[in-house]
Amino acid sequence: MSCLPRKLELFYDLLCPYSWLGFEILCRYQNIWNISLQLRPSFLAAIIMDSDMEEYREKVGGDQRIQVPTKGIYGFNSYLEKLRKQEYMKNELQYLGKFCQVPIEIPRDLRGVLIDKGSLNAMRFLTSVHIEYPEMLEKVSRELWMRIWSRDEDITEPWSIQAAAEEAGFSRKQAMSLLKKSSTEEVKNKLRENTNTAYKYGAFGLPTIVAHMDTKPCVFFSSDRIELLAHLLGEQWQGPVPQALKGKL
Amino acid sequence: MANLPRKLELFYDVLSPYSWLGFELLCRYQNIWNINLQLRPSFIAGIMKDSGNKPPALVPRKGKYMMMDLQHLKNFYQVPIRIPKDFLTVILEKGSLNAMRFLTAVNMEKPEMLENVSRELWMRIWSRDEDITEPQSILAAAEKAGLSKEQAKSLLENSSTDKVKNKLKETTSAACNYGAFGLPTIVVHMDNKPCVIFGSDRMEMLAYLLGEQWQGPVPSAVKGKL
Repeated sequence: MSCLPRKLELFYDLLCPYSWLGFEILCRYQNIWNISLQLRPSFLAAIIMDSDMEEYREKVGGDQRIQVPTKGIYGFNSYLEKLRKQEYMKNELQYLGKFCQVPIEIPRDLRGVLIDKGSLNAMRFLTSVHIEYPEMLEKVSRELWMRIWSRDEDITEPWSIQAAAEEAGFSRKQAMSLLKKSSTEEVKNKLRENTNTAYKYGAFGLPTIVAHMDTKPCVFFSSDRIELLAHLLGEQWQGPVPQALKGKL
Repeated sequence: MANLPRKLELFYDVLSPYSWLGFELLCRYQNIWNINLQLRPSFIAGIMKDSGNKPPALVPRKGKYMMMDLQHLKNFYQVPIRIPKDFLTVILEKGSLNAMRFLTAVNMEKPEMLENVSRELWMRIWSRDEDITEPQSILAAAEKAGLSKEQAKSLLENSSTDKVKNKLKETTSAACNYGAFGLPTIVVHMDNKPCVIFGSDRMEMLAYLLGEQWQGPVPSAVKGKL
């Protein structure tokens, strides 16, 4: 008797290139391993902010009111730290992209993309797709990543999102209807709910992978624990580009 | 004609459990891959100060996550990590300055012993929850690694000279100049430029860059011996 597939939840945000890497690797393995991959569009800025607030509260104690940055993905960490990590990230992603065969290119105005523009509209749109057409979520997510993290194109304006949706296979009518739905309370609440779920699992960033093992859920942060995950699932790791796919990328 | 071995610098601090993981993996592969592994004892607190970073354990969620992550990794990597009971005191108050100065002295006088002594210090702090700050603790690790009592005492004395203190500062600065914001930091000297890798979880990518084969954290050649 074969085992039931293990449920794997991938909490991700388009803003995060490491989410893209994790996403592509898990999508490649979803038909090789005995897993049920469930994509969970989430909102990174909220997770980082909540995590930083929690840290701040523990530092100062009590419930003191403070000025919280209202946009962007950075909390209270130092400017210098961000700069050095950002430089590192730019270099590392070039290697990782080649290694994982994901066509990542760093946007010219990285700060603008990450902090000023963000991903709220796009993640609401993906949530809308998730509710109405879950079978399309993988393709639309990919097309949006291709825009922001491969072709340095916008993902915040309605026509940008619509273009990605159509590229993924939606008709114009469907895309427009999903866009309209994105700004409803139902979708906003669903995105908050996914994000809170990740947070309750202990997430402090994305991607966060939750593998539902026999005894309890196992939580992994980032895209570099998938070989470990394979080991825990009793599955074979064939690198970021498994054999079954080698000819097709 | 065989290629020259690629130079790999591993900047590490025994205070860092992830440094231990990276260290063990590279030590396992140093005789399998065509590499020349150069151990660079560094001072993580200095790197944090220079880069504006802070230990992940200071962020409550990251600290909790790290505990869980290390439990998985210790089994997968087969490195006998055990979290110290008073983990925050070990990391934030006790630190690693004396130990890293000692390792710097070893690197200068007896570089062939650096791997063993580093490992014994890690076994103390990150496997048996023992002190690594007091002279007697460091001497015990040195002797366990194979140094004689006299050799260990002499190295300990050297540790507090300006020559050794400056060497540790210099190595730590070198890591910072490569852009390090934490440890372990690995610098691979490729044909055109150095490639900097942070963390112990990029080894498979490193193998890819070197054109070498990744056999997981416990390669065949080492399997029977752990």
